[in-house]
Amino acid sequence: MTASGLIARKEAGELLLNPRGLTWLMAVAVALSTFGLLLVSNTELSLLDNAQVVYDMVGIVAALGALLALIVGIDAVAGERERGSLVPLLLTPVSRNAILMGKLGGVAIAWGVIYVLSLPYLWAVGSTGQNMIDGMLVSALLGTPVVLGFGFFGMALGSVAGTTRTALLTGLVTLLVSASPLLLGPSLRQSAIGHIFDAVNPFSAAVNAYDAVIVDSQSIIAQSPHMLVAAIWLILTLVFARMRFRKIAR
Amino acid sequence: MKLSALIVAAGAALAAPTAIASPLSISLEAAATNPTSPQMGDNLSFHSVIRNDGASPVDGVIAWISLVRVDKGNEQPVDLEDWSAHKAITVVRVRPGGTIETDWPMRLIQAGRYRVVIIAASRSGSALTASPFANFTVRQKPVVDSAQVLPVAFGIPLLLVGVMVWRRKRHGKAKLRGEPTS
Repeated sequence: MTASGLIARKEAGELLLNPRGLTWLMAVAVALSTFGLLLVSNTELSLLDNAQVVYDMVGIVAALGALLALIVGIDAVAGERERGSLVPLLLTPVSRNAILMGKLGGVAIAWGVIYVLSLPYLWAVGSTGQNMIDGMLVSALLGTPVVLGFGFFGMALGSVAGTTRTALLTGLVTLLVSASPLLLGPSLRQSAIGHIFDAVNPFSAAVNAYDAVIVDSQSIIAQSPHMLVAAIWLILTLVFARMRFRKIAR
Repeated sequence: MKLSALIVAAGAALAAPTAIASPLSISLEAAATNPTSPQMGDNLSFHSVIRNDGASPVDGVIAWISLVRVDKGNEQPVDLEDWSAHKAITVVRVRPGGTIETDWPMRLIQAGRYRVVIIAASRSGSALTASPFANFTVRQKPVVDSAQVLPVAFGIPLLLVGVMVWRRKRHGKAKLRGEPTS
């Protein structure tokens, strides 16, 4: 196995195999369960609202994934530095890029677990409505670059910031602003500033694609402009993370 | 909003005493394939025939579908945005005795009692022509099925608790044996 693979396995193992580490997965499951249970008692939902429910749940999954990726990304650099375990890792004969990609591998595996965990919930709330399968597909296609981008962004912040706390605060505020389209409807983003924000914000790209595919029944292929925004976000954060990670002094 | 304005305008035009009778007539029938007791999510189709009963051609004919909900206390025009992508047709000319046959498909979004009507206008005519109403009732369908949600909402957290307990026990036993733990 390559060095990146070994690091990824170790990172994912800490997240998934450690009994205490599984608590985050339980928190994700409880969040999705709570949302599902809130819907059960609502008898006023129209068929259109059913698509809205799937859209909301896919958005929640992306937000939870991005939050996890950001925190794990920050902890992978700033956290390890504070615990004194980063320097020994940097002293090993493994390139910085391999370390970075290995740590992202851990994030990717954790995102994969969240995604798989979300599927039964999406089936539970969405199988009686429209576009559930398309919703699952677009969630993977758009959610993955957005979430992994936040993982890279977290690593970059962890490399730049002096402390984990600073990196976490900066990252969480950025995520809150980026994920605001989940809370603000499209009508509140109709101004020129809203359009610019939507054009450059990867979370807006994902949310708009979810809306178009799940609620408006558009094809996934037609979402390529949104996919492009998400891909650019992933590339930019990768470049940012590589630049900052290289500059960490041993 | 536009639809309600259109319906008001249509009503006003139909009621106008000075309007000259339109040479057009419209018949409207539910498709034979429609379910007898439709529920939310089903598809319905209505078939209309617009006929020019006059002696001269009618130019620039526009026909559109309108839907109103007639449940007591909940009477309202329905925005067809989510119900149908086929909301109107235009025809350049209908010759005397000529007909335009159109199918109007729709997907049932919300439960309730509804009346559907096809309305036609022409470029030079002074009155609207409306078909008779076609009535239908949409049964409620549980959108989020509790029989599906509850097992998932309770089952997955319980499954995770089980995995955590199992991992913790295994972790503890391995520690007692002095084996490395993950």
